[in-house]
Amino acid sequence: MKHWTEGFDDDDADESLVRPYTITGGRTAPERDDLTLITLVTTMSEVSSDTGHGLRRMQPEHRTILTLCARPLAVAEVASALNLPVSVTKILIGDLIEAGQMRSRPPLAFAQAGGFPSMTILEAVRDGLRNL
Amino acid sequence: MGYAISDQGDAAPLAVKILIAGGFGVGKTTLVGAVSEVAPLRTEEYLTHASVGVDDLEGVSGKSTTTVALDFGRITISSELVLYLFGTPGQERFWFMWNDLVNGAMGAVVLVDTRRLDVSFASIDFFESRGIPFVVGVNCFHGVRDRTQEEIRRALDLDPQVPLVLCDARDRTAGRDVLLALIDHLMAARSRSAPHPVA
Repeated sequence: MKHWTEGFDDDDADESLVRPYTITGGRTAPERDDLTLITLVTTMSEVSSDTGHGLRRMQPEHRTILTLCARPLAVAEVASALNLPVSVTKILIGDLIEAGQMRSRPPLAFAQAGGFPSMTILEAVRDGLRNL
Repeated sequence: MGYAISDQGDAAPLAVKILIAGGFGVGKTTLVGAVSEVAPLRTEEYLTHASVGVDDLEGVSGKSTTTVALDFGRITISSELVLYLFGTPGQERFWFMWNDLVNGAMGAVVLVDTRRLDVSFASIDFFESRGIPFVVGVNCFHGVRDRTQEEIRRALDLDPQVPLVLCDARDRTAGRDVLLALIDHLMAARSRSAPHPVA
């Protein structure tokens, strides 16, 4: 008799057994569309990670995010740390912002208009790279 | 205008990003890892795209979802500014539609491997058509310099204004210098587009 795992691809071996959208309660799109890969998110200092105040369904991932973001992290960094797709991570972060537990700082929006970053920023990046 | 002026005492720094593009196996993740202050991080995204070759006559949605993964790194410039480097995923036809990845990038580095220049053509086309400033980094694997810069430029059909830099993607200083070439390129482009500085 074949073992039930026989025939499973090795590709699946390191995938979570929880389907990502189960964590979001079936939601596949964030309610807010202002979060980007490099939006920096920070846990509000007065929020402690063991309170679920204001959240209907607090998942373990929500608490992990609050702990991670004691210092500002980009959405992409949070997704990487949680090992979840970016879109799922955005939904969870959106929940926490809605609940007043996190705040976000959007990146500059210069590229959409075909513009360039200000000289101040370019000079700061150049000087920073030179010191690398 | 100062970028550092935070609103309402916002503690978070400002984030900017640069894309590291080029075909499969040209050393994108290697370059990210060489200059990043952390080992390259990996993240993935579901991308929904129109399926090619699927009939849509019945009103059935002709869309399918693909998972694409990318590696990225981080350079803290100051307490007020953080630079993220995103190595673009290998499957070009998918990440070209990843607006969140492309939007808001200061510019891009297109890495090329002189033995396989063609794998980076699509990235060059993409940034040219989107008007995103970029520089070309010629990754000289093992010091191989089998073609002159002129030959590479001609083979890539590169606009004369686009800088071309020789580098070794494994080397921190060389990787940094490619990024600096991009910043210089952006400064020059900015000066050309705005000759009269706005107060």
